[in-house]
Amino acid sequence: MSAVGNKVKIKYFGSEYEGIILESSDKNMHLLKLTNGYNVGLPKKGSKVEVVGRANLSLKADTTPLTKNRSLPNVALISTGGTIASHVDYKTGAVHPMTKPRELLGKIPELKKIANLSVSAPMSIFSEEMNPEHWSKIAGFVARELNKDDVRGAVVTHGTDTLHYTAAALSFALEGLSKPVAIVGGQRSSDRGSFDGGMNLICGVHYATGDIAEVATVLHGTSSDDYCLANRGTKVKKLHTSKRDSFRPINTVPLAKIYPNGKIEKHSKCELRHSGKIKVKSKFEEKVALLKYYPGMTAEVLDSYSNYKGIIIEGTGLGHIATSKLIESITNLIKNGVFVGMTSQANYGRVDPYVYSTGRTLANHGVVYLEDMLPETAYVKLSWVLGQTSNSEKIRHLMVSNLRGELSQKSHPNAFLY
Amino acid sequence: MNYQDIGLKAGLEIHQQLATGKLFSRCESELIKDTPDSIVKRKLRAMIGESGKIDIAAAYETSKNLTYVYEVHNSNTSLIETDEEPPLLVDEEALEIIYTVCRLLNCKIIPFVQIMRKTVVDGSNTSGFQRTCLVGTDGYLETSKGKVSIDSVILEEDSARRVAEDKTSVTYRLDRLGIPLIEITTGPDMRDPDHIRETAEKIGMILRSTGKVKRGLGTIRQDVNISISGGGRVELKGVQEIKEIQTIVNTEIERQQDELSMNRNVGGEVRNVKSDCTSKFLRPMPTSARMYPETDLPIIRTDFKKINSMKLPELISSRITRYQKAGLNNELASMMANSARSNVFDKILKTEINPTLIATTFLSTSKEIKRKLKLDSWNFPDELYIEMFSLLSNSKITKESIPEIMERFTKGELLEEVAKDYKPISDSELKKIISELVKENSKLPLGALIGKAMSQLSGRADGKKVAKFIGELTK
Repeated sequence: MSAVGNKVKIKYFGSEYEGIILESSDKNMHLLKLTNGYNVGLPKKGSKVEVVGRANLSLKADTTPLTKNRSLPNVALISTGGTIASHVDYKTGAVHPMTKPRELLGKIPELKKIANLSVSAPMSIFSEEMNPEHWSKIAGFVARELNKDDVRGAVVTHGTDTLHYTAAALSFALEGLSKPVAIVGGQRSSDRGSFDGGMNLICGVHYATGDIAEVATVLHGTSSDDYCLANRGTKVKKLHTSKRDSFRPINTVPLAKIYPNGKIEKHSKCELRHSGKIKVKSKFEEKVALLKYYPGMTAEVLDSYSNYKGIIIEGTGLGHIATSKLIESITNLIKNGVFVGMTSQANYGRVDPYVYSTGRTLANHGVVYLEDMLPETAYVKLSWVLGQTSNSEKIRHLMVSNLRGELSQKSHPNAFLY
Repeated sequence: MNYQDIGLKAGLEIHQQLATGKLFSRCESELIKDTPDSIVKRKLRAMIGESGKIDIAAAYETSKNLTYVYEVHNSNTSLIETDEEPPLLVDEEALEIIYTVCRLLNCKIIPFVQIMRKTVVDGSNTSGFQRTCLVGTDGYLETSKGKVSIDSVILEEDSARRVAEDKTSVTYRLDRLGIPLIEITTGPDMRDPDHIRETAEKIGMILRSTGKVKRGLGTIRQDVNISISGGGRVELKGVQEIKEIQTIVNTEIERQQDELSMNRNVGGEVRNVKSDCTSKFLRPMPTSARMYPETDLPIIRTDFKKINSMKLPELISSRITRYQKAGLNNELASMMANSARSNVFDKILKTEINPTLIATTFLSTSKEIKRKLKLDSWNFPDELYIEMFSLLSNSKITKESIPEIMERFTKGELLEEVAKDYKPISDSELKKIISELVKENSKLPLGALIGKAMSQLSGRADGKKVAKFIGELTK
């Protein structure tokens, strides 16, 4: 009777509605698409349904083979899900990850003129569901593609919520990176004409055919559709819940501005394209935590991490917490072999253990100050470092060394609020 | 023209702006003339509709590959209007108004209303779609030529304002984007231009009766759908003056007949009505593939209990009749009933004061004072009228003093203070003054005597009394 796709006439309290039954999120309601295009909901109780036919509701799947244009470079598109690769689901009325990435290519025909895209999908999830296992998997896919001689670069599509975490993870996991990796997302839904993901993908593919051999996030640089910013994956953060240009470089300036017409304007020193195989080192330690300090934090909170392998603290200011209350817990953690790293919740700027007594106390008790590293990047890095070694000297050394541009001793004068 | 022979079918589509905040953001609904605070530039692309097909109208617009420039004013534009933030829940007041209109048009209200996205690729919506929802169906309107069916009553957001264009770009101002619109669509039940006009005027009157619609140029838009035998439906957009409907319809019928005589297809297009009553092709008529659910917002559950117990506003047409019965002439009754002050007028009507005096005070005295003092945008507060007429009904001032009192109030004086100067003179005092005046001016004719007395008394006496006493004394 009320099967999805049936053409029906529904009588409800003296009115008749004619249309096609859609899937309804509310089991007490019929959802109907009228001939005028509007959807209406009618309570099942009190409705009399008459079936008059059948309609075809399925979206035509695009099965055209992806033809190659020999004059264009090959770029590997690796889809992990997110808004950029989602569609409107009329079952729940919510947004769901796409299951066929080539549908995305159907929506952005310009891509076919820039590169030959091969599509693979290690997963299709919202990015808030990402965890280190996913990072490993993605790194594996990227390396496998990039190690093919005829592949120029890779573009990873990803949800924006944790895009910067994955960008950092890939930066560490891909050792000896010799080709570009763009990681791209979209803030607006892909069904709409103002879909920002379209331009982000186009710029991402341009980046992937260029010569910056780094992992970079590629999304809008402003609220207009003028250019995207390629931001180094270890120094970028999502700073606005919804704006197109929410991804800003932190403590640095962008690697480049990428224009939809292909122009690339470099703004930083960077690793350039070269020959060489990429090694995947994708073991991540799961018992690592990122903890934001706040006034009033109790020792109990810190103590609960005693069986973790490492924690990164987002301290205040230059890297502070209330030592009066918490120094004992800190000492216990370090005694138990937990690596404790210090960053700042101010986002911008660097931590410094020498200026105030608090910093000196914490450093003397073994807390490692992590220069101008972003807390999120520090968390990802620690998870990766602990996946490579369990030697506390090595761990400490790796954490304070600049491996992938994630920390610097020189603060750029124009980086703040870029 | 014999419309029946031609097989004329006509329907109306009316869009009326509401006087509430914006529909899906909490910004003010006001148009602004200042230079913008900032600009955003975008490109839009044709996207696939719910049925999997690319919409024809959308593809047509995208093929022009334009840049859209959006003007932002911080006072009435938020991140929602610039398509940088998801929408907020629908404005409650706007919802209440549309339920009222549905009831006044005898519509069936949809139990669960789903807000839809309607693809728009001419750039007039920053997101590339318009948010719209169907609230009422199956209604009707009584007219002199029978019932006209109301197919749908829709609540939707208005689009941005086109302010400039050139070969490569179109500039829009975002002040109008998001202002709530009620869209009323009739069935193709009208058979001649007079009927179209009557129906349009009646729908307009019903909308104004809510007291919650915007007034002024551009706040109501009227489109007429026409078809004749042998041709399909053509939408004529932007009928500015409903009085010109006959010329517009006749011109369009002639155009369609010309096309049909040359074996060309007629129908499926949207045309813009020009000031000379001709029309120009605008774009192909969109197909229904353009709409799909607005997934950022929940379905609206209609509260039928609340709606059925709502007090309906008095129709302006009924109010005109009521004012006529109270003693106003046709012109005053119509003007007062349509005025935004009719509810204040009703309050003052409860006193025993002559309704004509009240109406003329609202409608002409106020205008004269504004003209005299050159204050076009000044608005006398409701309380002034209420208190002034209260003083009058308690004989604390005279009716002749009203214009002066209003003028002095406008100049900044307090009403209580001003009123003291216009206390009516007692009858005995008045007789004394008049007898002296008559003695001194015994040679003057009656009319001149009255005139002289009135100017001497400067509003402190009732004209009828003065005339009566003078008349008695000069007998």
